Amino acid sequence: MLLSDVATLLVNSFTWAMATFLVAAGLTLVFGTLHILNFSHGGFFMIGAYVAFSLASALGGSDSIAVYLFGALAAGVAIALLGLVVDRLVLRRLAGVEDAYVLIATYALLLVCEGATKLVWGLKYQSVMPPPSLDGAWALGSVVVPRLSLFIIAAGVAVYVALEVFLNRTRSGRLVKAIAADPWMARLLGVNVRLVYTATVAIGFALAGLAGGLLVANQTLSPTLASAFVIYAFGVIIVGGMGSISGAFFGSILLGLIDAIGQWLLPGLPGLPFFVAMTLILLLRPQGLMGHAQ
Amino acid sequence: MTHTSFFGGSTRRDFLVLLVMMLLGALVPSLLNRGLIFIAGLVWINAVFGLAFNLLFGLAGVLSFGQAMFFAAGAYAAAALMQQLGMPFVPALLLAGAVGALLAGAVGAVALRRSEGVYFAILTLAFAEMLHLLVANIGFLGKNDGLSGLARPVLTLPGMPGVGLDLTQGDRFYYFIVAACGGMIALIRWVVSTPFGRALQALKQDPQRAEFLGIPVRLHRLAIFVFAGTMTALAGALVAPWAQIVTPELAHWSNSTNPILYTLLGGSAYFWGPVLGAVLLSAVFYVTRTLAGISDLATGLLLLGVVLALPGGVLSLLDRWTGRPKDGERPQ
Repeated sequence: MLLSDVATLLVNSFTWAMATFLVAAGLTLVFGTLHILNFSHGGFFMIGAYVAFSLASALGGSDSIAVYLFGALAAGVAIALLGLVVDRLVLRRLAGVEDAYVLIATYALLLVCEGATKLVWGLKYQSVMPPPSLDGAWALGSVVVPRLSLFIIAAGVAVYVALEVFLNRTRSGRLVKAIAADPWMARLLGVNVRLVYTATVAIGFALAGLAGGLLVANQTLSPTLASAFVIYAFGVIIVGGMGSISGAFFGSILLGLIDAIGQWLLPGLPGLPFFVAMTLILLLRPQGLMGHAQ
Repeated sequence: MTHTSFFGGSTRRDFLVLLVMMLLGALVPSLLNRGLIFIAGLVWINAVFGLAFNLLFGLAGVLSFGQAMFFAAGAYAAAALMQQLGMPFVPALLLAGAVGALLAGAVGAVALRRSEGVYFAILTLAFAEMLHLLVANIGFLGKNDGLSGLARPVLTLPGMPGVGLDLTQGDRFYYFIVAACGGMIALIRWVVSTPFGRALQALKQDPQRAEFLGIPVRLHRLAIFVFAGTMTALAGALVAPWAQIVTPELAHWSNSTNPILYTLLGGSAYFWGPVLGAVLLSAVFYVTRTLAGISDLATGLLLLGVVLALPGGVLSLLDRWTGRPKDGERPQ
């Protein structure tokens, strides 16, 4: 294996890792606070991608990074609004419902997302071209680095840093963490827990929509996008520790590397190392690498 | 304590219900067209798929999100043994059941020991996805295309050539499905009624107390997991010659959600819940089959409505109407 092959493998695995982290971030945030493992997160990620796709088509393609980012932000806002509706109609009613039924209810929501996507956007595969400044690749010696990969890696790191700063350095972020740790005590101290739950859902869904908009050029769009991504996102938050943003970040990097190395060793079985790693973590350290034992 | 109806109806009443169902099922070919006969066969198979899942969920309180792995294992085992190795149907069917039992024994021994609740659900999902990736990449099993052109079998007796039952003709394989699934449903109902079945009910309500009473909780959970895996694999083995094709989609995690849908829709606290759910969902799929998306949307909304507004499932409505006390509660 040449050094340039190693570099290519690293770039590919980091791109995968950050794409998956972008999807997993909102999933783990909502789980950490509301203790809802939301199957439909992948569905709203997919709808976010389609919203960005529709915007790009309406604007005649995105010709600059600014327009592309605007599309992603718009998708984030749209999905956040959708999240408020979902919170009102579904998530609020799941408080106190048994875990198994919560999992199944969010799976039902995923089906609704998939059905709605098929009805609105059709079954056809769609794609969005990246803006010209993100198209093509840089050649660093013999290593070819696609610009879009660097953009996705940068976006993943930016979202991670922003979330960490928000949760640890701002008053509202600390409030979210406090409620995640002990909602009863927070309520006793006069915190409007319901409001913080709603805000968390809005942020989590906004992250799903944003991820959809940011990754739209990296992905072929089809109604199967949701189920593929949500399983990967489940995997990384389980490996990292459910509810932990850092866990999702480093879990996705670790799983990305494991998958890339596995594919190099076992090219005939793509994806298998991911599930083997996920299974081993679930068996040996169910709280995840960075989670706390419950 | 939550009341469930697993033992609400007597075993004799349930066997009578089964008999009526089988008689009605036997009338299907003379009443309906070919397409609907095919769907009716699938409903029988799915009813077993759902009932086996509910042995875990409704009876023993274990949520598996990976039942597709056993269904696909059975389907692939039957298909590969018959088509690739030329084995006769009945031994292939029995071996497919054994494959399901072995797989469930291995997965259950590992997964039930280490996890519970949502973690167990995700763990079984991950195991099922591994099987999905394996069958989609193994040349012997046809990779992504699966195995197609599977023949319907001719049943023969060993050592007696010329004496046999040709299931390739007309609707005969449909009748075979009705008989085989009827037999499996009777077996499942019998297991529920045994002391073992009652012990499972007890450990679902309160594992700790059950342990104190001398019920080996872990062993019982493993035993029912293996039994459910076996029944699921047998159901899968019937689908191979019925649909005449097996594809990796059978092992995809969305197929694991099918028995969950049947069970919740019909009512997980009722023995017949998954059967009713399988019939209802097949009807929904049939009615909405022409417009892509509508069937997902309808299934999702229906399931959401049931979980949020009618957690006891459709059968709890029946209970409410007939005035049976306190049955619509969410099973704990």
